[in-house]
Amino acid sequence: MEAESKDKIVSIEKPELIAPPDWKPVIMGILCNWCSYAGSDLTGTSRTQYPPNIRIIRVPCSSRVDPWFIIKALQTTADGVLISGCHPGDCHYISGNYYARRRFLVTKELLKMVGFHGHRVQFSWVSAAEGAKFAQVVKKVTDDVVKLGPLHLYKKENFNR
Amino acid sequence: MDYSNQIRDIAAKLFAEGKIDVFVGYRMSGFDDNQVPVVITDPKETSVLVFTEKSVFNLTNYLKADHTRNKRVGLVVKGCDSRSLNLLLTESQVKRDKLYIIGVACEGVVDDKGNKMQNCMECFIPDAVVYDEMLGKLQGKKDYIVNADITELATKGLVERREYFEEIFENCIRCNACRHSCPLCYCAKCCIDQETSTLYNGTNTSSSAFHALMTWSLHLAGRCVDCRNCEKACPSHLPLHLLHKQNEKVIYENFQNHLAGVEEGDRGAFYKYSLKDPDDFIM
Repeated sequence: MEAESKDKIVSIEKPELIAPPDWKPVIMGILCNWCSYAGSDLTGTSRTQYPPNIRIIRVPCSSRVDPWFIIKALQTTADGVLISGCHPGDCHYISGNYYARRRFLVTKELLKMVGFHGHRVQFSWVSAAEGAKFAQVVKKVTDDVVKLGPLHLYKKENFNR
Repeated sequence: MDYSNQIRDIAAKLFAEGKIDVFVGYRMSGFDDNQVPVVITDPKETSVLVFTEKSVFNLTNYLKADHTRNKRVGLVVKGCDSRSLNLLLTESQVKRDKLYIIGVACEGVVDDKGNKMQNCMECFIPDAVVYDEMLGKLQGKKDYIVNADITELATKGLVERREYFEEIFENCIRCNACRHSCPLCYCAKCCIDQETSTLYNGTNTSSSAFHALMTWSLHLAGRCVDCRNCEKACPSHLPLHLLHKQNEKVIYENFQNHLAGVEEGDRGAFYKYSLKDPDDFIM
């Protein structure tokens, strides 16, 4: 992903921190097996281009995503997290995404309070037929995170001995 | 608020009738005028029991300890304690028929300096919601008030909040006293501990504190009853209530005014859903 502008990229949470010129964001994508993962598969088979910054992990359902996963992703390497599941009403397990939706809202609001920008953690509903939408979502998340700059809060590698 | 004599009488009576094996209450610490929890198995010792506005701890935490397990227990609960007891009952951690609960119409407890605790000023359920016997005059439910610290934090900017919380996480010494003092943290193996050895090399950094405290508070979201046992136990005096009160506020405003443990059979906000839950933050 080429940086959108030639200006210096500043971390929004730590304005004193300027990104190195070769910095590329790392985004962790957690996709539900039945809709979003199949949707991302469709994006690939239909040869739609989308940014390669996303690292995809497949989970059985969006309600499998513990808030802990998001915390750990932000704390290790990710600059942003994208979680995607089935549209409401389409869950393979009937109601999994309704439970997940509640947890996502609380997690996002708590992270915003402790000083993360709201765009660091994003959520989407992508069905198996929406390959084009998945490409758009990944592009939007990547663009957002590029604008926010690198995340250097509570990273564990900062403390490695 | 002084129910010491009534509680002594009730405990002695329960022991005499053979209704309980142990009694969990408060006694004077012996060093100052503060109180500490006490577990009594001998009927002769009931004279040490006290209950005043210095009885700050949530005694339901002792229901997960060995000395009360599989025994018939008598215990004293305030409003907030009874809410955590409600959750423990629905989560099958304790059995109702093994408990004799003395509920108290709480008028608020005080901290070390004698000031009324912040959570008592904002308390909306001062009376015990689950009890066998009630002490004091019932006060009824009050309106939910958003925590003053949360309202103040919301007015600050992103960088300011980041600096504020970075200091909190830096001061954490990872002693896990917050987790052990929490009545609702009863997992035999905690997911936070699974990472300790490999990820952090046993060090306590703001990174590991961030991971531990955020995971802990999110696993308690929708269940925390704001008893502030964690804050009383914290040796670094961290304002841990900020994390819980933020979750409580978001849950109250978005999920049909849910408040943990107020109703019997309540399992916390994340164990149910509504089709009308907010969806506008999802792409």
